[in-house]
Amino acid sequence: MKKWKDILFVMATIFLLAAVSAAAEAPLMLDLHPDHANPSAPVMGDHLRFWSTIINTGADPIEGLVAWISLVEIDPGNEQPVDLEDWSAHKAVTGATLEPGQSLRTGWPMRLIKGGDYRVVVSVTDRGSHTVFTSPTIQFHVRQKPVLQSGRVLPVAAGVPLLIIGLMVFNKTRQHRKKAQL
Amino acid sequence: MISLENLHLTIEGKEILKGIDLHLQPGDIYGLLGPNGAGKSTTIFALLGLRAHASGRISVLGRDPGEHAAAIRGSVGVMPENAGFYEWMTAPVYLRWYGRLYGETQTQRDLDVLLEKVGLGAEVHRLIETYSRGMKQRLAVARALTPHPSLLILDEPTNGLDPKGRREIHDLLLEFVAERNTGVLLCTHLLDDVDRLCNRIGIIDRGRTRREGRLGDLLAEQEAGKRYRLRLETEPDTANPPAGISLLAREGDWWCVHIQFEIPGGPSALWGELWRRGWRILEIRSEVSGLEDLYLTITAPGHSRVKEAAI
Amino acid sequence: MKPHWTIAYKESAQMLRSQRGLLWLLAFSGLLSAFSLLLVSNAELSLLDNAQVVYMMSGTVLAAGALLAAILGSDAYAGEKERGTLVPLLCAPIDAGALPAGKALGMLTAWGVMFAVATPYLWAVGASGQNLGAALFYLALFGTPVVLGFGYLAMAVSARTGSVLASLLSTIALLMLAASPLLIGPGLRGTVIGRALDAVNPFAGALNTFDSVIIDSEPLSAQFARLLLVVAWLVLCLLAARRRAANPNFQ
Repeated sequence: MKKWKDILFVMATIFLLAAVSAAAEAPLMLDLHPDHANPSAPVMGDHLRFWSTIINTGADPIEGLVAWISLVEIDPGNEQPVDLEDWSAHKAVTGATLEPGQSLRTGWPMRLIKGGDYRVVVSVTDRGSHTVFTSPTIQFHVRQKPVLQSGRVLPVAAGVPLLIIGLMVFNKTRQHRKKAQL
Repeated sequence: MISLENLHLTIEGKEILKGIDLHLQPGDIYGLLGPNGAGKSTTIFALLGLRAHASGRISVLGRDPGEHAAAIRGSVGVMPENAGFYEWMTAPVYLRWYGRLYGETQTQRDLDVLLEKVGLGAEVHRLIETYSRGMKQRLAVARALTPHPSLLILDEPTNGLDPKGRREIHDLLLEFVAERNTGVLLCTHLLDDVDRLCNRIGIIDRGRTRREGRLGDLLAEQEAGKRYRLRLETEPDTANPPAGISLLAREGDWWCVHIQFEIPGGPSALWGELWRRGWRILEIRSEVSGLEDLYLTITAPGHSRVKEAAI
Repeated sequence: MKPHWTIAYKESAQMLRSQRGLLWLLAFSGLLSAFSLLLVSNAELSLLDNAQVVYMMSGTVLAAGALLAAILGSDAYAGEKERGTLVPLLCAPIDAGALPAGKALGMLTAWGVMFAVATPYLWAVGASGQNLGAALFYLALFGTPVVLGFGYLAMAVSARTGSVLASLLSTIALLMLAASPLLIGPGLRGTVIGRALDAVNPFAGALNTFDSVIIDSEPLSAQFARLLLVVAWLVLCLLAARRRAANPNFQ
C-alpha cells in the first residue's frame, strides 16, 4: 500500500512541475473587463465598452501583435458567431510591439444591435508564435426593444388614405352643391 | 399701332414669312386673310415677340417686339386659334387668375359684366369642362378683353358660334373699337365677318402680302373691270387678245376673261369685236365681284362664283 | 402678385383641389400603407433592420417624388401645348423665366405635400428605432434638389419636344438609369466603375447619404461631397430648363 502511495506522489509531482513549467513559458497575460459606465441591464441600441489589457510577461519582445474582439450569440437554438460589421467600427488592433513587461490597454466600443444573450472575448496572436491566446469571456444579456409598434403603424396606414379620400369626397360634394345652386 | 414692312421670318431653316406688310391704325378693324399655311399665325406670333424675325421692320404700339415683348403683350389682348383653358376651373376663377398675369385685379362685378358681355352670364358657376365649343369661344374673347387692351388680336373669333353668337361678337368688337379708339387685328376665313367688321384688310399667301389696304379701295379696284365667263365653240387666238381684255383661266369650254375698262353702252360691242376676230362665243356669263372674288382671285386665280346673265 | 407666384398658385391648386392630384396622393399613401402593413407583423426586427426599413421608405419617397416631378415637368410645356393653354400663357406679359419658375414652385409644393404625407409613415416605422429625425432632415435636404432637378430636366425636354409622351419617356428612362445602380450588388458597386457612376449619379448620391446617416449614423460632414453632387445636378437641370424656356416649342 505504501508503495502505491509513493508512486502516486511522484506522478503528481511530475505533472505539477510540468504545469508550472508550461505556465512559466506563456509570453503574455490577457485580461478583459467591462467599462464601469456600462448599463447594468442593457437594451437594444445601448452602447457598451470593454477594456482589454495585454501584458508581455516573457523575456523577449512580442512583435506584430494582433488582437481582435469576437462576439458569439448563445441563445438556445440560436448559437452563432456575430458579424460585428454594424456593432462596432473598432474590431482589431494590429502591428503593435510589446517589450518585455510592457502592457497594451485597449478599449472596445460596441453598439447593441439585436437582443439576446452574448459572450465577448478578445483574442491575441503575434508574428512569431503559432498560438492564439484568449481573454476570459464576458457574458451579457441585451434586452429586446419592440421597434415596430403596430399601435403606431395601423392608425397611420389606415388613417392617411382615409383622410385623402375624405378630401376627394369633400371636393366632389362642393362641386355638386355649386351645380345644384344654379 | 402695328406697322410691318417687308417682314421676313425663318423657323428651323425654313423661310415662313417672305415679305409681310401690315399697317393698322387706331380705330381700324383689320382683317388678315389667307389660306391655311399662309403665315397668319406666324405673323401674329412675330407681333408678340414669340418669333424672332430675320429682317424687315416691325413696330407694335411704337415698340420693337424683339426688345419690348413683355411690354407690348401687356397692352395686347390675344385670342389664339383653338386655345384652351384649365377646365377644372370656372370661368370667373380662370379669368381672375389670367388677369393676374397682366397685373389686373378684378372684382366679381368686373368679371360678371365681362362674362355677361360675351353671353356667358348664366354659366359662371359651371366648370369650363362642361362648356360647349361655342361657349369656350366666347370665354376666349372674354380672356382677350380681360387686360383692358389697347390692341386686340383675334384668330378665328367666331368659329363654332351660331349666327346669333357671331352677331354678338361682332357688336362687341365694334363697341370695343368705338369706345376706346383701339385697334383690332382679325384673322378669319369668314368673309362675312370681314365684310361686316373690317375697314382694312391684308391678304397673305405663301408668306407674302399680296394685297393690303382699305377694303373699299381694294374692292373698287377689283370692280374697276368686269369678269365674264365665255363658252366658245373653238379655241380662240389667245396669242393676240384684243386690247383691254385679259385671259385669266380656262375650264374646259369655258374661258374666264377680265375686261379692264368700262364699255360705253354695255359689252355688246366687245362681243361683236371678238366674234369678228374668230371667237365663236356660244354663251356669256358675268361674274359677281366682291370680297370673296378678290380673295379667291389673289390666292387661287380662276375660282369664282357665277351669276347667270342673259346675253 | 408676380407672374411666377400666380403660376405656382395655379399648379398647387391643381394638385390639391383637382381629383387627379388627389388620386396621385392617394396612390402614394396607399403605397406607403402597404409597405408599413407588411412590416407590422414582424415586431422582432433588430435595431439594424428598423433602420433599414426607414432607409427603404425614405428611398421610396424619393423615387415617388422624382417620378411626380418627371410627370409634372413633362406636362409643363408639352401638356399645356397639347391642351391649348400654352399659347395664352406665352401671350401674357411674363418673362421667359417666369413659367419654369412658377412650375418649379408648384413642384416644390407637390413635393412638400408628399413629404408631409410620408412623415407620419416614417414616424410610425421609425420612432422607436434610430435616426428618425436625421432621416427626415436628410430626406428634405437631399431629396428636394434631386426631385426638383428631375422636374427641371423634364421641363427642358418638354419645352424642346412639345410632346408629353416623348418628354415623359425620356425623363423616366433617365430616372430608371439613375436608380439602376441600386440593382447592382454591393460588390459591383464597390468597383472602380461602380464608384465612378455613384459619384455622378444624384439619385444614388441621395440614397447613399440616407444609408450613411440612417444606418451608419455618420455626421453631416461626411455628406458634403454628395450634397455638392445633388446641388450641381439641380443647377445644371435648372440652366437647361431656362435655356429651353427662352424658345419653347409652342406651335
